[in-house]
Amino acid sequence: MAITAIIAIAVILCSLTVLFYRRYVKKAFDSIDRVLDGVLARNTELSLEAAADSRLSKLTHKAIKIMQMNVLDISQTTQEKEIIQSFISDMSHQMKTPLSGVAMYTDLLLEGRMTETERQEFLSRIKTGTEKLQWMMDSLVKMSRLEVGAVELSPVAAGIKQTISDSISAVYGAAAKRNISLQTAYFEDMALLHDRKWTGEAITNILENAVKYSPSDGEIKISVEALPIYTKISVTDYGVGIAPDEWNSIFKRFYRGRNAQGVAGAGLGLYLASLIFQKQGGYILVESKPGKYTTFSMFLQNCKK
Amino acid sequence: MAVLKTESLKKYYGKDPNTVKALDGVDLEIQEGEFVAVVGTSGSGKSTLLHMLGGLDTPTDGKVIVGGKDISGMTDEQLTIFRRRNVGFVFQNYNLVPILNVYENIVLPIELDGNTVDKGFVENIIETLGLAEKKTNLPNNLSGGQQQRVAIARALATKPSILLADEPTGNLDSKTSQDVLGVLKMTSTRFHQTMVMITHNEQIAQLADRVIRIEDGKIFAAKGR
Repeated sequence: MAITAIIAIAVILCSLTVLFYRRYVKKAFDSIDRVLDGVLARNTELSLEAAADSRLSKLTHKAIKIMQMNVLDISQTTQEKEIIQSFISDMSHQMKTPLSGVAMYTDLLLEGRMTETERQEFLSRIKTGTEKLQWMMDSLVKMSRLEVGAVELSPVAAGIKQTISDSISAVYGAAAKRNISLQTAYFEDMALLHDRKWTGEAITNILENAVKYSPSDGEIKISVEALPIYTKISVTDYGVGIAPDEWNSIFKRFYRGRNAQGVAGAGLGLYLASLIFQKQGGYILVESKPGKYTTFSMFLQNCKK
Repeated sequence: MAVLKTESLKKYYGKDPNTVKALDGVDLEIQEGEFVAVVGTSGSGKSTLLHMLGGLDTPTDGKVIVGGKDISGMTDEQLTIFRRRNVGFVFQNYNLVPILNVYENIVLPIELDGNTVDKGFVENIIETLGLAEKKTNLPNNLSGGQQQRVAIARALATKPSILLADEPTGNLDSKTSQDVLGVLKMTSTRFHQTMVMITHNEQIAQLADRVIRIEDGKIFAAKGR
């Protein structure tokens, strides 16, 4: 009798368990199904279930993340398109000025009525114009190749001393012409993660800037200092300086500082330099007191010990 | 897509006539992957704004929309879960748990959410932040810069889509600040995170894609990129 009762209870319990389990599984699958339907319908309002502390909520949360990643990819593509468009319009605008100068002086030369001094003057202006165009073309090509990732920087552990001294030699002539002295504080050579060619290019840009905005007979100081994660390469000039509210803007493409009016430039050098540093996990910071000094600090990652 | 958005966000403290308007109608949109610096003097409302964005505090009026979801109406429990899964915080005073070692501190939020630790990912972060040799140290054996790097690692470990930093270099000297800041920028770029950082220091703000200035609870000038 007792045995029959136990068996009956056991059977009932088993069937109940099976029943409940079936319902649970069905419910879970239904919920998963709903979540997936939401993903398919690109519905980001799966919110209710994502904010509870349950298995399903975690799943929903992940589904939403996947969806957001897709949305992000799409919006990034659109954004890139816009960047390219604005880039082209900026660029054509920047090229117009030297180009129209060249066209005008060529026309004047073709007309022919002028003194020899005037002729020489026009020719030298054309030369300046074409040089500027040439420099812009070079920078633009580098920039676009870096931006679209056509060139991969390959940061490897290499001594930084050589890279810095290469850059110093590159601007030495321009500095000497205006009697500006370049002073490098002594430092121990160290291995930093960097792509020598491109990093050299970026440091040269920063140095060229320092030379450009330094007064004649001035000096430029270069120093290197190791921090726990990065090593800092600083270049200080004692020229016009940059106001704090411009510190964020000067690294942007085609941005010319307020103090840079009247000095030749296209707003590309700093942008290119900061792009190069970013591409290898570094960065550039500026600090300045207008009328006193400007320090550009370039940071490169130390090699892991 | 704007991952973070506020609509006429207000936070008032106290009662009339002594109300303090910490935030007084802030409209803000932050795009996915953007690095935004919020600059303002102390008392300008910048920390209040950050707390609202991270669901640490509820607004008096207005909306905070994160990833298309309005979080201003969530219950405390929902907010806790929301924060744990979506937001990483880095504070000025690090907020590390003193009795846990570096590694335990870093994986704590993952374990709180009942997930298994993605060991490869966490090791990668630890390596990137130069903490590999300090894993078993207790926080009080570390320098300020190192402690802040642990806090950054902890914030990154849960793979949050948003990183909120409140004066992350406020307690550090200027050199260490530059070092920590670089790390913050590098990791947020590498892990495709949106980052909002509060600071009163222009030098720190310059690495951002965009600088938002806040004064008396209002945004008064936003400079685009």
